[in-house]
Amino acid sequence: MIEEAQEKESFLDKFAEVSAKIGNQVHLRSLRDAFATMTPVYILAGIAVLINNVVFPLFLVDDALAAVQYWGNAIIFGTLNFSAIILAGLVGYCLAKNKRFENAVACVVIGIASLVIMMPQVVTVTIDKDAGTVADVSGAFITANTGTNGLFAAIIIGLLATSLFIKLSGIDKLKINLGEGVPPAVGDSFNVMTPMMLTMAVFAIVSATLAGAFGTNLLAIISAIVVAPLKNVMNTGPLAVIIIYTFANLLFCLGIHQSTISGVLAEPILTILIVDNMATFAAGQPIPADHYMNMQIINTFALIGGSGCTLMLLLDTFLFSKNRTSRDIAKLSILPGIFNINEPVIYGYPIVYNLPLMIPFVLVPDILIAATYGLTCAGLISPCVVMVPWTTPVFVSGFLATAGDIRAVIWQVIEVAISMAIYLPFMRISEKAQAKQLESEGV
Amino acid sequence: MKILLACNAGMSTSLLVQKMRKEAAARNLNVEIDARPLNKALEVIDEFDILLLGPQISYAKKDAQAAAGDKPVLVISMADYGRMNAKKIIDDAVEALA
Repeated sequence: MIEEAQEKESFLDKFAEVSAKIGNQVHLRSLRDAFATMTPVYILAGIAVLINNVVFPLFLVDDALAAVQYWGNAIIFGTLNFSAIILAGLVGYCLAKNKRFENAVACVVIGIASLVIMMPQVVTVTIDKDAGTVADVSGAFITANTGTNGLFAAIIIGLLATSLFIKLSGIDKLKINLGEGVPPAVGDSFNVMTPMMLTMAVFAIVSATLAGAFGTNLLAIISAIVVAPLKNVMNTGPLAVIIIYTFANLLFCLGIHQSTISGVLAEPILTILIVDNMATFAAGQPIPADHYMNMQIINTFALIGGSGCTLMLLLDTFLFSKNRTSRDIAKLSILPGIFNINEPVIYGYPIVYNLPLMIPFVLVPDILIAATYGLTCAGLISPCVVMVPWTTPVFVSGFLATAGDIRAVIWQVIEVAISMAIYLPFMRISEKAQAKQLESEGV
Repeated sequence: MKILLACNAGMSTSLLVQKMRKEAAARNLNVEIDARPLNKALEVIDEFDILLLGPQISYAKKDAQAAAGDKPVLVISMADYGRMNAKKIIDDAVEALA
């Protein structure tokens, strides 16, 4: 018995250790940090999309509507339609910070410049929407490259260029020594000059080769061989997402934050999908089915009260528990829980290393992810089109994320009921086990 | 004495910070207490005397210690964190700095 328990523990320890390694991997961590920095921008875009496409049309039409919508479109123009450029710079900055590279600002420049270097110099634009005439023009950027469609390219190119730049900067021979007496800032700018020029020159050679020899560009290649398959994986049913969140929530049961896994493996691509949806919705287009699975399915429908949907455990505790300790923790946790923050529940109730509660903690989000995705595919609730902060309380979040679909709110009410029903028996088992333990300890 | 707390997003530690500030005020301790997400915390650690990590990011202790130099870096225990035991956490921080 004792041996078995030890073996189990060592497996869990190993799992926690490997997860921490994944979460600590410097490129993945930088990616997560970059998206975290970017989130307020996306939230703002979401608000603009909501006001433009849901609020304004309530009381305005035609020219007046178009006139006020200019406001929201301007925000969308500067956020969603430019997000690849911004992200490329942020990825460079975060990688520099995480690698403790001193000149992080230079990496912002490298990230942005390298992404643009890889863009096609001749782009196809629509001249007349109704007639469908197009023309090839030079000297123009298209939002298909600078906006949400370019996010993957921004990540890959930003990381590659910054890595190369940091590597080159470490080579002493490439540093230009101006001697003593030169102000340090001047010296720094000369030190990064050679590595910076080399990095961009290399990327330009690749860009020229792709254009000259193959008539293509890196953004198109990335879109074809990376983005398309990845989006497919996320949308061959909710399976991939469920597997990742099963492991992520299991990890939280061991005391380590779930985003250690999910934040690097699932969140970037799921975020790109919801940001894509915002742009699509803002343009008045229907949401394609391969975008039904996105970050909002998690944050809005499977994170009610925080990871593991523990708000419903708290509700069960208030309604059905007579255990004083549990009730005290529930009282302490309910207010943050409404805003989906639940560390007090996880560590205080506790969920960590408490087997009866670990089961629903992992199970409930999986069920809700699958069910919400299924309902979206069946057309019973609208696909998510707005990115709302993960701290938005339940019911409000469903309404906003679907741009005002009341059916989504009704589904959230049902979700609360289902989750309370699942949590209840496990809560009782947990309380019995705790009572037994206290008894055996002779308290 | 300046205490910095760090967790994943800086949300749950900010709850704890409020409780710790109250506790410190009740004891007439001259302390400043702040909470940040981990990556921001490592950037501003120079301005603080001690770094306390939430248990959910205990795996980052090695990295945090590297950034903090010879300043103490502690991981708050799961039980203290869950129960928001500000008294005990301040005691631990004071002891580590003594």
